[in-house]
Amino acid sequence: MSGRAVLRCWAALMGLLALTTGLAFVPLGAAQLGVSLVIAVTKALLVLLLFMELKGSSGLVRVFAAAGFFWLLIMVGLTSADYMHRSDHRTAIDQIR
Amino acid sequence: MTDDVLTFQYATSDQQREAVTLGMWAFLATEVLFFGALIAAYFNYRIWFGAEFIAAAHMTKVAFGTVNTAVLLTSSACMAMAVNTYQAGRTRAPVLWLTGTALLGLAFIAIKSVEYYLEYQEHLVPAIDFDVGRYGGVAEIFFLFYFCATGLHALHLLIGISLVTWLAIRIGRGRIDRNGSTTRIIGLYWHFVDIVWIFLFPLIYLAGRSG
Amino acid sequence: MSRPPNESYLSAKIGIRSWLLTTDHKRIALLYFAAITGFFAIGGFAATLIRYELITPGPTLGSPDFYNRLFTMHGVIMVWFFLIPSIPATMGNFIIPLMIGARDLAFPRLNLLSWYLFVIGGLITLTALLLGGLDTGWTFYEPYSTFYATGYVILAITGIVVAGFSSILTGLNFIVTIHKLRAPGMTWYRLPVFVWSTYATSLILVLATPVLAMTLLMLIAERVLGVGIFSPQLGGDPILFQHMFWFYSHPAVYIMILPSMGVISEIVPVFARKQLFGYTFVVWCSIAIAAIGFLVWGHHMFVAGQALYASLAFSFLSYLVAVPSAIKVFNWTATLHEGWIRFDAPMLYAFGFIGLFTMGGLTGLFLAALPIDVHVTDTYFVVAHFHYIMVGGAVMGYFAGLHYWWPKITGRRYPEYWARFAAILAFFGFNLTFFPQFILGYLGMPRRYQSYPPEFQVWHVLSSAGASILAVGYALPLFYFLWSILKGERAPANPWQATGLEWTSRSPPPPNNFDVTPTVVRPPYQYQRGDPCPQVDSD
Repeated sequence: MSGRAVLRCWAALMGLLALTTGLAFVPLGAAQLGVSLVIAVTKALLVLLLFMELKGSSGLVRVFAAAGFFWLLIMVGLTSADYMHRSDHRTAIDQIR
Repeated sequence: MTDDVLTFQYATSDQQREAVTLGMWAFLATEVLFFGALIAAYFNYRIWFGAEFIAAAHMTKVAFGTVNTAVLLTSSACMAMAVNTYQAGRTRAPVLWLTGTALLGLAFIAIKSVEYYLEYQEHLVPAIDFDVGRYGGVAEIFFLFYFCATGLHALHLLIGISLVTWLAIRIGRGRIDRNGSTTRIIGLYWHFVDIVWIFLFPLIYLAGRSG
Repeated sequence: MSRPPNESYLSAKIGIRSWLLTTDHKRIALLYFAAITGFFAIGGFAATLIRYELITPGPTLGSPDFYNRLFTMHGVIMVWFFLIPSIPATMGNFIIPLMIGARDLAFPRLNLLSWYLFVIGGLITLTALLLGGLDTGWTFYEPYSTFYATGYVILAITGIVVAGFSSILTGLNFIVTIHKLRAPGMTWYRLPVFVWSTYATSLILVLATPVLAMTLLMLIAERVLGVGIFSPQLGGDPILFQHMFWFYSHPAVYIMILPSMGVISEIVPVFARKQLFGYTFVVWCSIAIAAIGFLVWGHHMFVAGQALYASLAFSFLSYLVAVPSAIKVFNWTATLHEGWIRFDAPMLYAFGFIGLFTMGGLTGLFLAALPIDVHVTDTYFVVAHFHYIMVGGAVMGYFAGLHYWWPKITGRRYPEYWARFAAILAFFGFNLTFFPQFILGYLGMPRRYQSYPPEFQVWHVLSSAGASILAVGYALPLFYFLWSILKGERAPANPWQATGLEWTSRSPPPPNNFDVTPTVVRPPYQYQRGDPCPQVDSD
């Protein structure tokens, strides 16, 4: 990366930081989490692809980089299957009392 | 730390460099899952507790958090400059950029320490004198997450600062192979610590701020 | 190089420093063998006491609290300090570089660090157990383990966390080695199945263990700080601990079985003198088991209070994970068909594995069904199920591999008839120990109970009798392996007439494995009418 490219990337990151903090004070309701995560993912991708040089790396390196995040998604996703449905309509077997 | 001499199990330097790079990314994958477990627990509690959990986030200090994020992102830019200038053949420039990286890292730690101290004064530290009556049990769980996550992050940052300082000294003495992997993989570690914070920041500081 | 022509990795350097500071993967493998054998003996001793205790319905050896500490010790040691490292750290370390034509692993010093972390972690946990242990069971469920359990919970768990880092580094080392250090001509589809299995195992080691580390650290935090992250006092959820714990611990059981499956895939073609049937299916099934294995952990929590919707999802996915394992069993069986079968000791252990693993796997499907699990969960049915897989499967695979590669590792033959006798004894002892436990569980005997109603006694007595036979079956190899090292006949490079790269090197191998880096020309397990076609052409 050239010095200028680093500077541009840094400026983009600062801009996204300002955006995410600013939007936190805007009443977005349920979309708040989603918006801040999308911005966080964008910042992370900038760091991963440019600063960590994934853009010019081999496919194998990129798979290694992606694997951890992908597995984390599995963990968050499947556990949330429990927490989102805990308060579902109770079936007969749960109504022991 | 490798001084980038070709060791006997590798046939070429390229092979060694690729192997070391893969090794570092594999290690970072483990770190993603290490911090990720904490973040997964956070997410599940956020779903489970709902509004009470989000309300607890309101008590974090968003100004400190935002400044710290800016500090860390800038330190990553400095690290990127250090790696690039060193590979481009210069010696003084990378040492200066690395020093900048380390100093910004220390600035982060300093700001965090002040933040922790203020939280201590406000009785927001779990197990020490958290004011459960005033804030609620769910808030104590949230703040336990906060201290664990930011504490572990700070620990990783301190390790990073030590590595960067060591690297700066070694480069200054001309003891690091320019075509080797050491500088790059320390850079990867530093950027990763930055990425952890990029995700911790909205989860800790930006929830429950509106309305 | 001015080295003696017959130098081996054993004779190259002598003295204790050359062993404790070695970076040679073969020596590190032996260091692991020593540590793991020690832990197996301790865990086995705890098992002996458990089975002795359970001969009578009432207390025999001590209080119920003592019994709780005993089975906790057995579980903790066997899971983390024997089964998880067993094949990867010993045979993986020794054989993988030889199998792929490399001179060592990608990061030899990291390998040594892994061993030290393992030993230090083991000593820490052992200290906790010898000081009085803990009574939480190896699963450390909350809030009991944090707010109510007495004993050395934090110390024991610290040792496990340290040993966990050992596994992570080992897995990382194997992954990079297999990607980067294969000899010329060794394409992915020419790799022996043991390498693919170790790769799949390493994926799990790297991706699952960090979650355990964090979970246990949070447990320690809760116990030390007294703040209930997972406990109801502040509104926390004990089930969240179980989610995080089993996210690691279920893939962990695949860490324990995949390497054994890899060993069996090596042994069956050699002793049937036939190409492995369905190589491509077998190797991709290893990857599939590792991947799908991450999606099924909730089947340990069907009765814990998890949402029914989640339980349904986990039940379905648990049925799915059985498919690649079954495919492997079919492929081994098809390999045997019309082969020239020899009943050497490694093959006897392999037969034992195939039969017992199948039974264990099928009973796993019983447990994956929600209605059945509600009745047999936390009974001896579950205990029997996982012992069929872990002991009938994983440990049999360990002994199979140990016998198979013994000539390569030590340069000696073991006494064949004693070995066959030990294998058969272990098989009978195993079945007598654990089959009655299926019946016990079905009849309603809960697990982790010291006292039980008298009508269960007959089954417990049978089980304990079996355990004493199994113990002899496991103890015998200790004796004849020791004899083999001291007085055994010298082994040639390829005593089994197998095709892999490891058999082209001397027995025992020289320090750098190969005098000349081999070039691989054909896939593994090629036999021409019973004669082996080695993967490299000899010059």
